[in-house]
Amino acid sequence: MAEALGAAVELFANPTRLGMLMLGSAVGLVVGILPGMGGIVAVAILLPFMLKLDPFAALAMATGALAVVHTSDTITSVLIGAPGSAAAVPTMIEGHPMARRGEAARALAAAYLSSLLGGVIGALGLTLSIPLARPIVLSFASPELFLLTVLGVSFAGNLLGKEPLKGLAAGLLGLLLGTVGPAPAAAEVRFAFGQVYLTDGIDLALVALGVFGLAEVTSLMARGGAVAQRTELGTGWWEGVRDVWRHRWLVVRGALIGMWAGVLPAIGATAGTLMAYGHAVASSRDRSRFGKGDVRGIIAPEAANNAVEAGDLVPTLLFGVPGGAPSAMLLGALLAYGILPGPRIVTEHLDLIYTVVWSFALANFVGAGVMFAASPALARLTYVPFHRIAPPIVLAMVLAAYQETQHFGDLVSLVALGVVGYALKVTGWPRGPLLIGFVLSNPLERYYFLTVHLYPRPEDWLLRPGVVVLALLVVAPFAWRAFQWWRARERPAEQERGARGATTVATAVVLSVFVYAAWTARGFLPDAALMPVSVAAVGAVLTAVQLARELRGRASAVADEDEPDAPPQVVGARVRRATLYLASLGVYVAATWYTGLVWASALWSLWFLRRVARLSWAASLAYTAGLVVGLQVLASVLGLYLPRGRLGL
Amino acid sequence: MKRLCAVLGLLVALSGLPAAAQQPYYAGRTIEIIVPFAPGGGSDIDARFFAPFLEKYVPGNPRVVVRNMPGGGSILGANFFAENARTDGTQLLVTSGSTMIPYILGVPQVRYDPTKWELIKVNGVGGVLYVAPRTGVRKPEDLARPAERLVYGGISATGLDLVTLLLFEVLGLDVRVVMGFEGRGPARLAFERGETNIDYQTTPAYLSQVVPLVQQGKAVPVLSMGFVNERGVMVRDPSAPDLPSAYEAYQALFRRKPDGLMRWKAYQSMVAAAFTFQKALWAPGGTPAEAVQALRGAVDRMRQDPQFREQGKQVLEGYEVLRGDLAKPAVLRATRVTLDVKRFITELLRSKYQVRL
Repeated sequence: MAEALGAAVELFANPTRLGMLMLGSAVGLVVGILPGMGGIVAVAILLPFMLKLDPFAALAMATGALAVVHTSDTITSVLIGAPGSAAAVPTMIEGHPMARRGEAARALAAAYLSSLLGGVIGALGLTLSIPLARPIVLSFASPELFLLTVLGVSFAGNLLGKEPLKGLAAGLLGLLLGTVGPAPAAAEVRFAFGQVYLTDGIDLALVALGVFGLAEVTSLMARGGAVAQRTELGTGWWEGVRDVWRHRWLVVRGALIGMWAGVLPAIGATAGTLMAYGHAVASSRDRSRFGKGDVRGIIAPEAANNAVEAGDLVPTLLFGVPGGAPSAMLLGALLAYGILPGPRIVTEHLDLIYTVVWSFALANFVGAGVMFAASPALARLTYVPFHRIAPPIVLAMVLAAYQETQHFGDLVSLVALGVVGYALKVTGWPRGPLLIGFVLSNPLERYYFLTVHLYPRPEDWLLRPGVVVLALLVVAPFAWRAFQWWRARERPAEQERGARGATTVATAVVLSVFVYAAWTARGFLPDAALMPVSVAAVGAVLTAVQLARELRGRASAVADEDEPDAPPQVVGARVRRATLYLASLGVYVAATWYTGLVWASALWSLWFLRRVARLSWAASLAYTAGLVVGLQVLASVLGLYLPRGRLGL
Repeated sequence: MKRLCAVLGLLVALSGLPAAAQQPYYAGRTIEIIVPFAPGGGSDIDARFFAPFLEKYVPGNPRVVVRNMPGGGSILGANFFAENARTDGTQLLVTSGSTMIPYILGVPQVRYDPTKWELIKVNGVGGVLYVAPRTGVRKPEDLARPAERLVYGGISATGLDLVTLLLFEVLGLDVRVVMGFEGRGPARLAFERGETNIDYQTTPAYLSQVVPLVQQGKAVPVLSMGFVNERGVMVRDPSAPDLPSAYEAYQALFRRKPDGLMRWKAYQSMVAAAFTFQKALWAPGGTPAEAVQALRGAVDRMRQDPQFREQGKQVLEGYEVLRGDLAKPAVLRATRVTLDVKRFITELLRSKYQVRL
């Protein structure tokens, strides 16, 4: 404990370290605000500076940045529905509807406070678990890790929405999407359609940006007006703080879920956050408001996603097994100082570890404080007509997508995933289960095969105590719900909302995707085929049942998820406008191929500002010029080369 | 106001300077190092380690930035480099063993040919094979008769694990190979949990992660993958000089030399391509000689820098950085395998590991 105090005194008394911590947090906050950019970008920006500092100051700086990216990514998630990272999706699902009700301030306050508390609990947990972490981490063998991924997938069961069949099928669709790319257990690349771009699979950040971010932005553009539909200013700051106090144990549970998802390999940060969200739903008696802006759905995942970063430091520092790319880059920087992660770090560099812990906790206070101060101003954005702020948001998302692998495929994927996301949104397919399925698809398959190959006799792994306990955790909630259902014996009446049509077409498309995948996957190597074939087969059956019900007249009409009572003509007009905007984004990306990103962005912005936002020529031109300059400044800060295009512009 | 004038004056003076003096090729340019892997991996760390030293030692002090273009297990980025890279010396590529293996095996998606590029520098890494004490294996000879069946955790048969698979082939070991780990780190965790009992780590990872286990009696080092010297001979790993190389291990097991054996030729060329010359920095073919010389000269100068040596201790782990023109013949020799060796490898992958190439 003496080292812990020593490190704290050193950190707080040393102006360089404290200054670097603040600088790191500032970069982390700014990067976090940009949709689709997170820890990797922040560490990449800081790395050249870090190498010029002493290891303590460098670590303080990097930790400062990593600690707060998930604090500030809340802003875009809540205000414009564009999640700053995949881990911010639950915050977007619950926080954005609150912003539309004029409760942005309440949602943000609850999010920051939970982030802060989650981070502090994570730092505390990190301190306490350092001596114990090694045996605990090693006690989770492949079978336990496999069951943990199963547990994670089962949390999707809490997010199925009002049509459970569609919810289940959406989860399976996510699992299927996750099988694109290399099979973990066999030398086979699946569903790449001859595209080298797809041979590494679909990027999680692109899924978050497209299926959620772009879909939401499109829907806002199609609706027009401001984000907030009510004009009274939210008095909600205090309300948000009270929410967190009322649900204080949820904060603790969310933080613990997040921390352990970070500590253990296999699950990953995003899935940990989604599990905390699923837990918030599962542990609530009244679930009717989830998905429509329930503050509990913000509190648990926000506490989790800051705690994940603390938990992630355990495998990174103690085992040299980084949980994500940002911590991997941190490791690389440590190497240059001659600091090797691994068992010896606890005996040789304990002061360094405590510097990390304290920096992490302090940065969480700084991050939450700054965001509290900045948010009243930012929350006003929800009262600005959305058309006027859409172009910079879209451009930022395009740039974020492009920095993923810097191939043209990133841009195509972004728009394609945006189309998929919007289509799912208006036809009533919940996207939460899809995301859970997607992030856990690969670990689920990987640890299944590792388990059965490392333990050839089933009784060797099925009877392990950890496996039995985890299996009970998976099964118990379902058994409990079945029991409740049996006791109530009263099924809620199916709502018939008439019109088949677009939703039925969507169901048919999903069905054909499943059928096609199952058919194609038969030809894969056995260990590459098992997962896609079984997922697609079950998905096909469920979707076929759903389709049959819809054809018998139980389809729900195309609806605006955010405004279920909107009359059909209004919804129809919005969908048509959204289709036009998505098409315009398709043209934008195609134009990028010829004219390069800068010119294509300029042309699209000009078109949008003139024709959609109906600004004057002068205003549109000036605005566009500003955007182009901003795009290039941002690209140069991020060290990105914007694609030039065939015409060499 | 006075200060502003002074600053402006200085700026004017500075902007006039380069015109007056003989301008180095890279003055005012930006060098972009393309890393065909995601941030945080070994090649990324290598590139980011070299970047500031290139800035310092390339005449004209160009800005050096790292650009990650992951995809297709590095094939995508290398293809991009082969087809689109600027040939004025402002775009360079880092390759790793997993970029070279698909090239050597002739994987159809590969559209690059390193023999057409200019090598700037190359530095390598070694690997150490170790086992769990319960296998009863203490030295290479024991590998033939372990107390329990050997189980190895790998990532994928077509990546760096190919070298390990060929080693098992060379030594005639009966090993149950379980593929599917995310990386060597998680595979090492499985070893620590007792799920596997034979494992390898690159020598830096071995020294930091496994040596403590050896000291606690939880792991036993057996041999090093070996290092291929400039004459094409396998020697001991300079960072693990106490361990016999795979060459010596073969001699201990079979009481003869492996030279001439097909499986040995396959193993040795893969060790050279994937370990000894693992991290290479290339300029595209057609880059002006002036630029290539400036870059290679910088490699020589940075090796004299005490800061480079100090920071490089862990990143390079005692392995030498070789200047491109000196190492090129050996590197090219490693990438050229005879048709029968290639056929041997493809056949091994097909029959034992269900890989269709």
